[in-house]
Amino acid sequence: MLAAACGGAVFAAPAYARPAFLESPVTRNRLRPPGAVSEDLFAGRCIRCGRCVEVCPYRAIDMLDIRAGLFAGTPLLAVEKIPCYLCMKCVLVCPTGTLSPVSQEQTRMGLAVINRFSCLAWSGKTLCRTCYDKCPFKNRAIYLDQLQPVIRADACTGCGLCTHACPVTDPHGDKAVNIEPIYSRVGATG
Amino acid sequence: MHRHKEQQGRTGRGAARYGRWRLLTLLLAFLVILVNPLLNYHLGINWLQGWYQSLGVGHLWFVSPLEGLESLLVTRSIAMASFIGMLIPLLLAFLLGRVFCSWICPISFFAELLDHGHRLVYRNKRRQDLLVPARRLLWFVLVGELLLSMILGAPVFVVLSPPGLVGREIMMAVFFHRLPLEGLILLPVLGMELVCRRLFCRCLCPLGGLLALVGSRRRLVVAMEPERCVQCFRCDRNCPLGLRPSRGETLTSYCWNCGACIDACGPAALAFRWQHNGNPSRDNQPPVFSTTML
Repeated sequence: MLAAACGGAVFAAPAYARPAFLESPVTRNRLRPPGAVSEDLFAGRCIRCGRCVEVCPYRAIDMLDIRAGLFAGTPLLAVEKIPCYLCMKCVLVCPTGTLSPVSQEQTRMGLAVINRFSCLAWSGKTLCRTCYDKCPFKNRAIYLDQLQPVIRADACTGCGLCTHACPVTDPHGDKAVNIEPIYSRVGATG
Repeated sequence: MHRHKEQQGRTGRGAARYGRWRLLTLLLAFLVILVNPLLNYHLGINWLQGWYQSLGVGHLWFVSPLEGLESLLVTRSIAMASFIGMLIPLLLAFLLGRVFCSWICPISFFAELLDHGHRLVYRNKRRQDLLVPARRLLWFVLVGELLLSMILGAPVFVVLSPPGLVGREIMMAVFFHRLPLEGLILLPVLGMELVCRRLFCRCLCPLGGLLALVGSRRRLVVAMEPERCVQCFRCDRNCPLGLRPSRGETLTSYCWNCGACIDACGPAALAFRWQHNGNPSRDNQPPVFSTTML
């Protein structure tokens, strides 16, 4: 929020027209670790100590470099490569409360969204239910409606296990089920 | 002739050998951040995490005060873990001054290695400081850096702190087999050593500025006994920060208690002293406006 406000004040532009080095790296399938504060506060609060990166046993948490501008050094997951297994080791070592302890069920890293055009089950190509099988909250976060997977938004943690498992990869590198960040890049949450 | 006299003086100097201890401490401090990613990555031992931005030793957590302060100013909120983690470094700086800079910081470690290398190559030829900026720049850098962070809404020193970058580069090399580009900042920081010893530490490091400010009324100071001083000024030439201990400048906020002047002092006129009044400034003035620093 402050970033948006200050960005707006200094550059005399609305919050969504921030310069590139202030633009959040959180996008489709690029998510913060569990228990993260709002993305508006993340870069200000995180002190880039890398402890979450070091304790992640799955090496799922990557560290951004200077190409991410002022977000350099902050942790980010690429869930289609390595998803979050919700082991919650990272939240316990964060010294700044940027990641704070949260239960597995209450984690909201993002929300899985199924692309019904590329999904094999929805487009009627095969009876694929990989995402349903891999979901750690099977029948709660993903359920099958006439053999087609459906996401239930109030239970999806955005861990990305479904995205990681999805056999479809479209030419943009997206899967048929992707995790969309809950944070909006256009500053709607600011 | 002059050199002969110096060597005579050297044989007669006191038993203080802080230089070796300092190099050993710096080496150990560097080994901590070198070994820690290896332990985490290859052996899965998470007992030790992080580097000198935040270091976790079991349940004992340290947070760098400037990083914590930036986080506090930018988000106007503070986590209890961060607050408690800042207490030990702040207490250390309050009592002992900028000892983090001279005895722990990896940048200082590299700079000392460069000094030793220079001494090996050029024998006893003394390093000349070609450009010496005003020391007061340190305070302006500290204030400017905090203001810039608040304007941008993102902490600047946290992203690009040279001591932190050393840890980050090592961790990234071990974990992801790549070296992020921002590590190139370390080259000019260490390259400045050619122009002036510890140019970055002297007046460009905001963390050093904050620690100097906190330690301006420190208890541990390098004090001189004027009766024993023979006016050889070897302490002045050996101070890596370009201070003049012979004129009592070790009592200003800028001294980082490295002990190089004590090592250099032949007649042992300089020594560490624990002050009980906690007011090292001779003329009892606030350090920022003290005349000795001008």
